[in-house]
Amino acid sequence: MQEELASALSKKLLEVGIEGKVSNLEPLTGGASKEIWKFEVSKDKQSTKMILRRGSGIEGPLAIKTADEARIQKEVIKVGAPVPTILAVSKNEEELGDSYIMNFVEGESIARKILRDKEYKKALPVLAYQCGEAIARIHNVDVDNFSFLPKKPAEDQLEDLYSTYQSFEQPSPVFEYAYLWLKKQDFSNFQESLVHGDFRLGNIIVNGEGLQSIIDWELAHIGNPLQDLGWVCGNSWRFGKSDKVVGGFGELEDLLEGYNSISKLKVNKEMVKCWQVFGTFRWGVICLIQAYAHLSGTINSIEKAAIGRRVSETEIDIVDLLFLGGE
Amino acid sequence: MIFDRPTSGELIKAVMDFLDTKIKDELPPHLAFKLRITNNVLGMVQREIEQGETLQQEVYDAMQNLMHSDELTTKKLAELIKDGKIDLKDEDLKDLLVLLSKNKIEVDNPNYSTYKKLIK
Repeated sequence: MQEELASALSKKLLEVGIEGKVSNLEPLTGGASKEIWKFEVSKDKQSTKMILRRGSGIEGPLAIKTADEARIQKEVIKVGAPVPTILAVSKNEEELGDSYIMNFVEGESIARKILRDKEYKKALPVLAYQCGEAIARIHNVDVDNFSFLPKKPAEDQLEDLYSTYQSFEQPSPVFEYAYLWLKKQDFSNFQESLVHGDFRLGNIIVNGEGLQSIIDWELAHIGNPLQDLGWVCGNSWRFGKSDKVVGGFGELEDLLEGYNSISKLKVNKEMVKCWQVFGTFRWGVICLIQAYAHLSGTINSIEKAAIGRRVSETEIDIVDLLFLGGE
Repeated sequence: MIFDRPTSGELIKAVMDFLDTKIKDELPPHLAFKLRITNNVLGMVQREIEQGETLQQEVYDAMQNLMHSDELTTKKLAELIKDGKIDLKDEDLKDLLVLLSKNKIEVDNPNYSTYKKLIK
């Protein structure tokens, strides 16, 4: 099977003028729904590391096509956002399927390693500011270049999330409460932006110096830029380091300072709170979607089964944010 | 109970220990990651078997005080909130939602940061 994949990769790379022998194919732990392969392409004793990111053909209801992720990265790299260079794109009907090949970026994406290992100790204090700058660059791009992406205003997303939650017929008192609370919030004050949709540790590559690349664009859309800020400040993405509000590594002040140094929209702390609740509710519904993909028999997977029991993490975070003074 | 020891909880614990001590180090990294998830899942089942009933009863008792209904279920509580039958500012409702969330996470993931913070 790996030989077939190697030959399909060589063929695809040749189409874009990259010649060489594909070797050392290695599967990496990726998102729950994508395959990630690391490999090397060598010619004349020179070898280059690359990554293949490939959709399974069965995308969740929120995800965009894998090939469209590549289109976004080709655009945002032009405004200085840190993303891998896209080398080749394959359509669903081609041999490689819905996928793309990009350069391999040295560094780490596994959250627990970044938060724990010595190598990243110097990177962590500057990471929140760097993340703020990088996500602001992404939010500043001209949305007219992204007409292939879905538009998702907050109010529409909230209704979609709520009806998705309802469709599973597993009523949650906390989610009902959160939905009514969120409906009362004012989400209107913003300019339509390119939103990454899953901006957090796990989807960024970090080395000893700090942020290197933003990856995993499958939840990208056009919407409210504050969504990305609230998301990375959700406790779900602090990986146990709950005292560090930004992704388990940084302070909200630093994230916003970096953000406001680039962004047209100036953001303060209070504006982020309701987006933390929104993000936590959204993650809860995504957990439900994943769990029910397993329960319905669409995909048999221990990860997806397990994630059904992470809904309760989002419930306790919501009650903490709403009733117990959680940040 | 007609079944002998090991209890179902103890059997699951034995499986977890086996996976952790004998299998974990034999696996390549991407499967070791899946094994960690497998062990987490078994832990949930073990805790639900051993503590589930008590945790559930605590929630039902608290529901009794708030919901004037014969049906004490999370489904009914969700419905009462949705239909505006309980004031969202009601402190007893907030307390009940906190208790419900705490008792669920105690089975699903007692190492979760928010849970550990709240039981301090």
